[in-house]
Amino acid sequence: MSQDDIGTEGNPIAGFLHGEISRRELMRRLAILGLAAPSVAAIIEACGGASPTSQPAALSKDLKGSLTIWGWSASVAALKLVDTDFSAAFPNISVKYVERPPGDTYRNIQLAIAAGSGAPDISIIEDSHVSQYVQLGALADITDWVKPYVPQIVSYKWTWIQKSNRYYAMPWDPGPVGVFYRRDIFQQAGVDPASIQSWEDFYQAAKTIKQKTGSFMWQQAKARNDGRLFETLLWQRGTGYINAKGDVILDKDPKVRDTLEFIGRFWTDGLAADQEPWTDPWYKAQAGGGTATVIDAVWMGTFFKSFIAPKAAGSWGVALLPVWQAGGSRASNDGGSVLAIFDQSQQKEAAWAYTQFHLGRNQSQLQIYEKTDIFPSLRSSFQDSFFQEGDPYFGDEKVRSMFADIAAKIPNAGIYSRDYQEMSNLTTPEIQKYALGQQSAQQALANAAELIREKTHRS
Amino acid sequence: MLTEPRHRIREATLAAATEDLGEDYEWRSDSLRQRWRLAVRRHRWPLLFISPFFVLFAVFNVYPVLFSFWLSLHDWPGLGPMDFIGLANYTELAHDPLFWNSMLNSVLLFFIYVPVMTFLAVVLAAVLNARFLKLQGLWRALIFMPNITSMVAAGYTFRLILDKDSGALNHALAFLHVAAVPWLDDVWWARISLGLLMIWAWLGYNTVIMLAGMQTIPRELIEAAKVDGANAVQAFRRITVPLLRPVIVFSMTLSIIGTFSMFTEPYILTRGGPIRATETPVIEIFNSTFTDLRFGYAAAESYVYFAIIVVITLLQFWTVSRSDPVR
Repeated sequence: MSQDDIGTEGNPIAGFLHGEISRRELMRRLAILGLAAPSVAAIIEACGGASPTSQPAALSKDLKGSLTIWGWSASVAALKLVDTDFSAAFPNISVKYVERPPGDTYRNIQLAIAAGSGAPDISIIEDSHVSQYVQLGALADITDWVKPYVPQIVSYKWTWIQKSNRYYAMPWDPGPVGVFYRRDIFQQAGVDPASIQSWEDFYQAAKTIKQKTGSFMWQQAKARNDGRLFETLLWQRGTGYINAKGDVILDKDPKVRDTLEFIGRFWTDGLAADQEPWTDPWYKAQAGGGTATVIDAVWMGTFFKSFIAPKAAGSWGVALLPVWQAGGSRASNDGGSVLAIFDQSQQKEAAWAYTQFHLGRNQSQLQIYEKTDIFPSLRSSFQDSFFQEGDPYFGDEKVRSMFADIAAKIPNAGIYSRDYQEMSNLTTPEIQKYALGQQSAQQALANAAELIREKTHRS
Repeated sequence: MLTEPRHRIREATLAAATEDLGEDYEWRSDSLRQRWRLAVRRHRWPLLFISPFFVLFAVFNVYPVLFSFWLSLHDWPGLGPMDFIGLANYTELAHDPLFWNSMLNSVLLFFIYVPVMTFLAVVLAAVLNARFLKLQGLWRALIFMPNITSMVAAGYTFRLILDKDSGALNHALAFLHVAAVPWLDDVWWARISLGLLMIWAWLGYNTVIMLAGMQTIPRELIEAAKVDGANAVQAFRRITVPLLRPVIVFSMTLSIIGTFSMFTEPYILTRGGPIRATETPVIEIFNSTFTDLRFGYAAAESYVYFAIIVVITLLQFWTVSRSDPVR
């Protein structure tokens, strides 16, 4: 971090409070809160990095606040699991949740940002969307608070929440991807899941399974395709919409076209079920064996267990992604989220206390993971004995340590960025057109790339 | 006043009656400011009582409209400084394939459902207007009901019914040995499905407009036609429909505006797809704002969209009402 980055915020406390509150005002407020000088000193020490230990700053138990937190039901329910302990630790901080689906949460955030008021103190934001708000400057600079966590958390999670070496959110769950597969269908078709090493093997297995059992290998909507699997597979290959420089590579990287054409073979050969994600037919096929695999992130387990297929315990197994070439990556990411404190918040310290308590402790992250399949990002939590236990839903397979391995190996890829949503929206209709057989994969990618260049002014 | 003699009262009334004239005369020599002040003072109570509307209208309508125009000359991601870029948003818009695609979608949607809906509305109104029909209130209420139903709920219900694999409609068609229709999975069928939802939601509304129009047509005209030997269908075609023409024009104008500003229906039913086939201008504006965070560009889109609606509406008024309704 250079002196320029710190700029006028050279003073650590004024720095993390981001000009909202002057130093003097901060001292006054801390005094009102009954914070003694030593705790201020502790904060200064922790933030200034004077002490080489990476111990997070201890926050006063007497912090006061009433926090508003936005998010969607599954994730809010997960955070609530830690709330009893949190209120015991911070009895003067109360918490109110506002639950809306992700899309509605983002729209409300945007309105609040544009209006200049009305944002929550904290929101759950997906990795796919957080970059947009970071670049916009809507989130509080919490560098001094999160810095001690940088080496402790799965490193790729920090990609989207940095701007000029400052950090604007606290990572929550990563989205390590695996192949969820139906043991019963594979068995019936006589296919050994362990024999599937490459995607070509996977494709051959799909044909066998379709022939012997009638089940589709995976679910990929045609006219209503959402491009999510396409992105996941690009991620595995370390490519995406853009390269590291930010230039559009959809039409330039041959791996992108190869990936889309691979998905296309499942459509032309009738090996993909044409079902829109997150609709009843999609759930039904997963519960009833209509599809042999679901390629998705670890959090999919939450939905299987809770409402999609609670009765299918034991039928599902999890395998690593097949490779594209020998020795290639078997890890990818889909989704994942952070907790972000808004710049508008007037109670940033209490908000940080909440964030740190829920995400900065192994105990909390494990508490959440044990109940929900929302994966921890604190690497030290992977050492817990829970990771060595089998998951009864997956036939006592040790899926947790498998996902921990995947999470540690997720490659860098040009999928999420400040304009991910826009690039994805411009690409999916072209994929749909390809899926319906109305254009070639090459044409689809060329069209999408052209639109993205035109609309986002990327080169 | 009451204690004053009658003739004094009469004099006072007379003076009051001529007051306007006198003041008008005096005003001519007064400055404009004085005239204003006087007018405001004289009408201060009525002005005060009607002011809430104007205040709210200014804050919630006039201000946003003007602000949007100002915004359309800027590049603004929703936070931070606005960059003045002049007409750059408008020039970019001129060759934005997505925006013009959404305009084209609206035109196609208009031709897909508005003629059918208008025709059905006129016929339904005629039936509801017939003397022999019993329980008229009940039928009118039933037909109007979809219009006051939540569009979100209706949209999701249509989604379920129209699903190509699990939807009730395709199951019913299978029962009749008709092949499954890709209601929401084909560019044209998706537009037709959206049209069906629009007809379901807005038929009752338009029927009520037609019905109101029909009730202004004197019964004698139809009776006279019948005396001359016309049957019911002939009387309807030659008397009712021509006389209803201004009302039909009015209802179709509302439908044009409704089609171009369609949002909830496609947003829920088709999400603008497949392949952007049902993306309407308002969805496009919404995406520019909330997905692309280009508030200025979205404002420019809104202005162009508004201008196009005005032009189309005027054109339609001009072409349809130009000729004499009754020949």
